[in-house]
Amino acid sequence: MTAVVVAYSPDEYGEAALAAGAEEASRRSIPLVVVNATRGDAYVDPHFADADTVARLRERVGEVEVLQEVVPDVGAEVVRVAQERDAELVVVGVRHRSPVGKALMGSVSQRVLLDATCPVLAVKPSA
Amino acid sequence: MSTTTETTTGPEGPRVVDRAQYGLAAFLAVVGVVVVVDATGLRPGFADQPVQPSFLPYVVGTALVVLAVTLAVATARGNVAEPEGGEDVDLTEPSDWFTVAKLAGVFLANVLLVDTLGWAITGALLFAGCAWALGSRTLLKDVAIGAALSLITWYGFYVGLGLPIPAGILDGVL
Amino acid sequence: MDLFLDGLMNALTPENLLYAVIGVLLGTAVGVLPGIGPAMTLALLFPITYTVPVDSALIMFAGIYYGGMYGGSTTSILLNTPGESSSVVTAIEGNQMAKRGRAAQALATAAIGSFVAGTIATALLVLFAPKVSSAVVQLGAPSYFAILLLALVAVSAVLGSSKMRGFIALFLGLAIALVGTSTGQARLTFGSPLLADGIDVVVVAVAIFAIGEALWVAAHLRRRPLQVIPVGRPWMDRKDWGRSWKPWLRGTAFGFPFGALPAGGAEVPTFLSYITERRLTKHPEEFGKGAIEGVAGPEAANNASAAGTMVPLLAIGLPTTATAAIMLNAIQSYGIQPGPQLFDNEPALVWTLLASLFVANTLLLVLNLPLAPIWAKLLRVPRPYLYAGILFFASLGAYSVSFEPFDLALLLVLGFLGVAMRRFGLPVLPLIVGVILGPSLENQLTQALALSGGDVSTLWSEPVAKVVYAVLVLALVAMAVAAVRGRAARRGASSVEKEEVSA
Repeated sequence: MTAVVVAYSPDEYGEAALAAGAEEASRRSIPLVVVNATRGDAYVDPHFADADTVARLRERVGEVEVLQEVVPDVGAEVVRVAQERDAELVVVGVRHRSPVGKALMGSVSQRVLLDATCPVLAVKPSA
Repeated sequence: MSTTTETTTGPEGPRVVDRAQYGLAAFLAVVGVVVVVDATGLRPGFADQPVQPSFLPYVVGTALVVLAVTLAVATARGNVAEPEGGEDVDLTEPSDWFTVAKLAGVFLANVLLVDTLGWAITGALLFAGCAWALGSRTLLKDVAIGAALSLITWYGFYVGLGLPIPAGILDGVL
Repeated sequence: MDLFLDGLMNALTPENLLYAVIGVLLGTAVGVLPGIGPAMTLALLFPITYTVPVDSALIMFAGIYYGGMYGGSTTSILLNTPGESSSVVTAIEGNQMAKRGRAAQALATAAIGSFVAGTIATALLVLFAPKVSSAVVQLGAPSYFAILLLALVAVSAVLGSSKMRGFIALFLGLAIALVGTSTGQARLTFGSPLLADGIDVVVVAVAIFAIGEALWVAAHLRRRPLQVIPVGRPWMDRKDWGRSWKPWLRGTAFGFPFGALPAGGAEVPTFLSYITERRLTKHPEEFGKGAIEGVAGPEAANNASAAGTMVPLLAIGLPTTATAAIMLNAIQSYGIQPGPQLFDNEPALVWTLLASLFVANTLLLVLNLPLAPIWAKLLRVPRPYLYAGILFFASLGAYSVSFEPFDLALLLVLGFLGVAMRRFGLPVLPLIVGVILGPSLENQLTQALALSGGDVSTLWSEPVAKVVYAVLVLALVAMAVAAVRGRAARRGASSVEKEEVSA
């Protein structure tokens, strides 16, 4: 049992990752697993998808497994799911960040790129 | 502020006794007794003083003891406290007293160190420590924000309000 | 009228206008933010009263009070979690409107309704407060004592459905107020010189509101994020205006008198307003699904009640809400005693404050209509920072009272009391009011008895005092009857259920 794991957030980066992940999954004929996690430390987290967004997501890419978790570390959660599912590939959306921004904000994709034990596909939204 | 409601458990389940509430009753009784005992030690005031300084303490102390008894009886009869809800409060999960203990520890460190180190340093540690206790894991950023806050407030008090907060070991540096 | 114009001129000086803008923005922000309300904010901002002139400080505090009422409605509508207890009712229809894509209209009717209600209610305040004040100034110490007693009982027994818990909080507050030196004798100081001046109200308020709340929330942090409904600039069309203006006026009529009553507050009038609108509406089918009347009425009511609160605060020196209690303490910290003499002794201050309420109201409308989307973004502040910030400013506020680490230790101890109160459902308001009014209670009693030479019957010698005691006795009897009936009803209900179980 293997899968393509997508680190998803309801924005252009997450959408780019989702599109690429869906394509890879159908090409390899293996299931797609969408991970949308939050640290849950803010009252409102725009990176956490609501029920409507998840429903629309399913309309677009078909019936997929969507994992929505509240975890201490979003990047680590993506890596954990990838290991648990013995994933062939993890897909993340990356954005440009200044060095200062990286130092201050931390980065989910960086965490995934460094820690994942399988190949990682980093995609950018088409400009 | 939320309102409180008393819920008496109906016959559908076993009667729940909120044991912690006995603790509150005991606390009230102790406070009431201390207030009364303290009042007995007061010297009578001047002869023409219509209300003796011990009058109000007697009233308050007695009332607290009476309320303590009332609360204990109500608790035994199944009166259960309704904890205060709130927009950021999730009462469905068990209480996380460990986080509270960490916060209290950080706070206590501030109490002990503020005289020697000064507010500019302990304030920064207080902020960073509290953020850490509450689950933030970006230590560098937390300390930076804390330091900025404590320096801004120190100078804000000094320049804006004309109140010099004791500087501690940074005396002369700030 | 001249007095009012002078006040307006003073309120519109650049400096005071700046304080009003800061107050309104800060008030709206804390109204929007979870876990922090106007009462806590005033407590945290107390240090500014050490040097900022009294009129500027009060203008800012008034801005925070009005702004907090408005900010609470924004979260009610967009998140379905009321920022303040006064906006609980707004959430019922407001969030339904937002879910159906009418968030902009809901916010607009809340903002404009708040403005209309606030302006009318402040005008009523300007009309009534001096009259009440000149009536109260005739009263002697016995009547005053009776009114204080009634206010304490009302605050403890009426708000919240558990009277026992209200009185527990009240007497704990009175016990805290006892600490310190009275007529040359140290009470409850345990020989410590640090307690000889009593426990500063600022330390108590900050501990109970800020530390208690932060620790309580830390123990029960909600983890799963809520969904905020995106919103653009608020606006309304002709039809919404047509459906809103009557609820605004009716809401004002509910809010103002309740705000002025001891223990009135904003919760009851917002609820009454909602019920009334639901009964009178021409669109009953929309109620529960986002009727604009159900937002317009309660929002007008809560702002009108904020203005109503100022009547007893200024004219009698009686706070009826937690925020008003802190304002009272702020005024006292300047050596000014709110109450009947205030209008004669400090006319410039009073009229500046009243005029600044109009200014704050107008600013709220002008600033908040365009700013609504930005306020919604505030909800993304990570909670570790929000609560660490609250603890930071709480410590600073308590420390700045006298730069004694002892005050910080006291803050922590009383903070745990605040946590315990939340755990056991003890209301906060009676405690704070007890701490603030405890000394006045003793003073008025002493004054009354000193004048009569110790004759206790003087306490009910004045007609007003007689009426107040009659009301008090009636209220206590009604409470006792209700308690007995409630118990009987409960017993009846449980015996019925038992029969069903056995059958």
